[in-house]
Amino acid sequence: MIELTGVKKSFGKQEVLRDVSIKVNDGEVVVILGPSGSGKTTLLRSINFLERADSGIMKFGEKEINFKTAKKKDVLYMRRHTGFVFQNYGLFAHKTVLQNVMEGLVQVQKKSKSEAQRIAEEVLDNVGMLEKKDSYPSQLSGGQQQRVGIARAVALKPDLILFDEPTSALDPELVGETLEVIKKVAKTGITMIVVTHEMSFAEDVADRVIFMDGGVVVEEGKPSEIFYKPKEERTRQFLSRIIPQDAYVI
Amino acid sequence: MGNYFSAERFINVFPKVISNLSVNLHIVFWSMLLGTILAIFVAVLRIRRVPVISGLLGIYISFMRGTPLLVQMMIAFYGIPIVLGNLFLNLFGINLNRLEPVIFVEIAIILNEGAFLGEIFRGAITSVPSVQAEAGYSIGMTGAQTFYRIVLPQAFKVALPHYGVDFIGVFQNTSLVFILGVVDLLGKAKTLGAATGHSLEGYLSAAIIYISFSLFLKGVFLLIENRLNNGTAKAV
Repeated sequence: MIELTGVKKSFGKQEVLRDVSIKVNDGEVVVILGPSGSGKTTLLRSINFLERADSGIMKFGEKEINFKTAKKKDVLYMRRHTGFVFQNYGLFAHKTVLQNVMEGLVQVQKKSKSEAQRIAEEVLDNVGMLEKKDSYPSQLSGGQQQRVGIARAVALKPDLILFDEPTSALDPELVGETLEVIKKVAKTGITMIVVTHEMSFAEDVADRVIFMDGGVVVEEGKPSEIFYKPKEERTRQFLSRIIPQDAYVI
Repeated sequence: MGNYFSAERFINVFPKVISNLSVNLHIVFWSMLLGTILAIFVAVLRIRRVPVISGLLGIYISFMRGTPLLVQMMIAFYGIPIVLGNLFLNLFGINLNRLEPVIFVEIAIILNEGAFLGEIFRGAITSVPSVQAEAGYSIGMTGAQTFYRIVLPQAFKVALPHYGVDFIGVFQNTSLVFILGVVDLLGKAKTLGAATGHSLEGYLSAAIIYISFSLFLKGVFLLIENRLNNGTAKAV
């Protein structure tokens, strides 16, 4: 489905990605874990060209793109075949919920208004936001906004959806409803790469977990392997900080 | 007030003064129309940080904001014919010295507005959070689509109140033109005063017209703002 080889990216002198290679198979749900500053968000944004990686090769389906020489049409191709869900939702502030979801269908996929509306309403219904279709983003809670953000990405039927810490800006009580929606999307069989700190979500949904630190992939494997039998010391240290030790008590 | 002011003279002079409001409106219309277009180019070029052009625009904006409009009008009025006079005469057969003074006034205001509005627009565009543009890109929109459909409408809302204030400012600044011999409503009031020996009625008429029309403009802009905020009143 998608294969990244030798991706490098620096911001000034700061080397954020140093030679990262990952591969995601068709229909797979991959969770990327790692401490902040490990480069996981930059990696995700590079796939969608929201960040321009300095070098590396991306194979996407039949297409092969070199980050160094990627043209405008390559960038558009990737963006039109992948969806992106932002940490802080990124809903168009001047458009209603329905208009947010319809925008790409009408402007990018050139669907008729009526067909776009039919698709948008169906997708909004799936995420439980159909009732709010005429609301503006500012009138919604964070969880509701994120569900619309997911609907906007899903409506375009991308081959791959990228989730950039989709629940980390949410109030704790709103995390659950958002994760439920993401799980529902995962069940449709679409390929997903999710950057998150939600361990139980990763354990439930991920086919594979990739652990990144310091701009490199440290370790990857099944969630059960990574969480309970990590091979690398760095993974163990990270997990011990994330999973509270007293979780076993009571 | 003795003989300084008479209601009769005021009633007599008011219609004559207001008849020249059209001169001011003509200046406002063309200056704002062309000034706004110029400002959009200035704002976009400044945001894109085109190497040499950005530097030149910086100097241009400093000059426009650092000198009084009246000085700029004087320079336009006396300077443009001297510098470009021969060129226009040879190239287009236009004698710049014969042009209406009002045209130079408008050139000065257009250039002035290009700088002031340009900065207002630039601020408004950069105030739109970057995630808005990223969201546009992420659904596959082109750069132009993202700019026109996502960023610009939101920037417009930010810029509008400032634009309204600026618009009213330009209307009031049109009063400067009578110094260059353009007979606008203030010029008319002054001429009538000189002819009759009674100035106050004319100036009071001018003041009433200025304030009425300024309030009218303010009302129009408030109406547009409310329209835009309808439904998104709580936005951001």
